[in-house]
Amino acid sequence: MSEQCGRGFDGALLSGWLDGALTQADEQRVRIHLEDCDTCRSQVEQMRRFREVIMSTEFAVPPDDQWSERPRGAASRLSLGAGWIIVAVWALALGGYAAWEVWTSDEPLMGKLIVFGGWTGFGLLFLGVLLDRLQAMKTDRYREVEK
Amino acid sequence: MALPRPGVTPPAPTANSDSRLLVQAQAGGREAREELARRMRGPAYVLALQLVGNREDALDVAQDALLRLFVHLGRVAPDRPLRPWLFAIVRNRARDLWRRRTARPNESLDARPDLSAHLAAQAGDPEQETARRQLARRVWSAIGGLSRSHREILVLRDFHDLTYAEIAGTLDIPLGTVMSRLHAARSALRGRLEADGGRHV
Ligand SMILES: [Zn+2]
Repeated sequence: MSEQCGRGFDGALLSGWLDGALTQADEQRVRIHLEDCDTCRSQVEQMRRFREVIMSTEFAVPPDDQWSERPRGAASRLSLGAGWIIVAVWALALGGYAAWEVWTSDEPLMGKLIVFGGWTGFGLLFLGVLLDRLQAMKTDRYREVEK
Repeated sequence: MALPRPGVTPPAPTANSDSRLLVQAQAGGREAREELARRMRGPAYVLALQLVGNREDALDVAQDALLRLFVHLGRVAPDRPLRPWLFAIVRNRARDLWRRRTARPNESLDARPDLSAHLAAQAGDPEQETARRQLARRVWSAIGGLSRSHREILVLRDFHDLTYAEIAGTLDIPLGTVMSRLHAARSALRGRLEADGGRHV
């Protein structure tokens, strides 16, 4: 698989020759070399054969209806992001209000602690998921800029 | 024995109408946009598949790339072929996916996917696979086994038929690098097929 044949000819020129991408001078060089180098000639023939096979291949492509049914575009991501922020604000406001109500109520201290313990757990879980989402949105925005 | 001369690849027959559609789409034509999207789906999906190796991710990458293409449609020069532009986006999306998945080992992409599993179904009796089809299977399995950088340059040239200049643009590499990298990819493919017992192909 070396890049040069036994005579030190630059193999890359063979690809250039096959693709019609050489300067006139290089094309001349390749033609002269191919006239008496069996190795390079069979290499060119093989590459040409592969190219034919590759080009004539057809791949199975998903039908058109599969394209519209997968709403994972920029718009849906945006509304998803906005949705998360609204839910977060709502949960914070509601949770704060409820916490104030319970703390100022006549509930015994033990009852208060039980209720707050549960809420703290839920709150941390929620915060974890939220931070994750925000991180995902941020990296997404960078990618948008990149291309 | 006279060798056949290298053919100068004529421009793809759709190239002209692509650019006409592009102009109409840029001017806000809805039908032109839809037609353009329909036309670009196939090439975008197949390149994505060739790069990421599975149907689900390829569809995601291709759709994402098309959305981006349409967001930035105004920046595309109508006198230049559209596909290299689209392919650059597909390729960058695919690379992002690779990077993201590598960070999560249990979701990582198959580095050597068997692309022959995705060939279009053959018309006629599936039992009677033609020799040509068998060869196509072998070749595409081998292409799936190439390194990603060899695989991408090989399919851009030998399947999607991009010119060297278009490949340089798509991969963002110097024009002078294209020929040697492409030849290395073709040599690697030959090597794999020979190792696979395909010396006679
Ligand atoms: Zn030689």
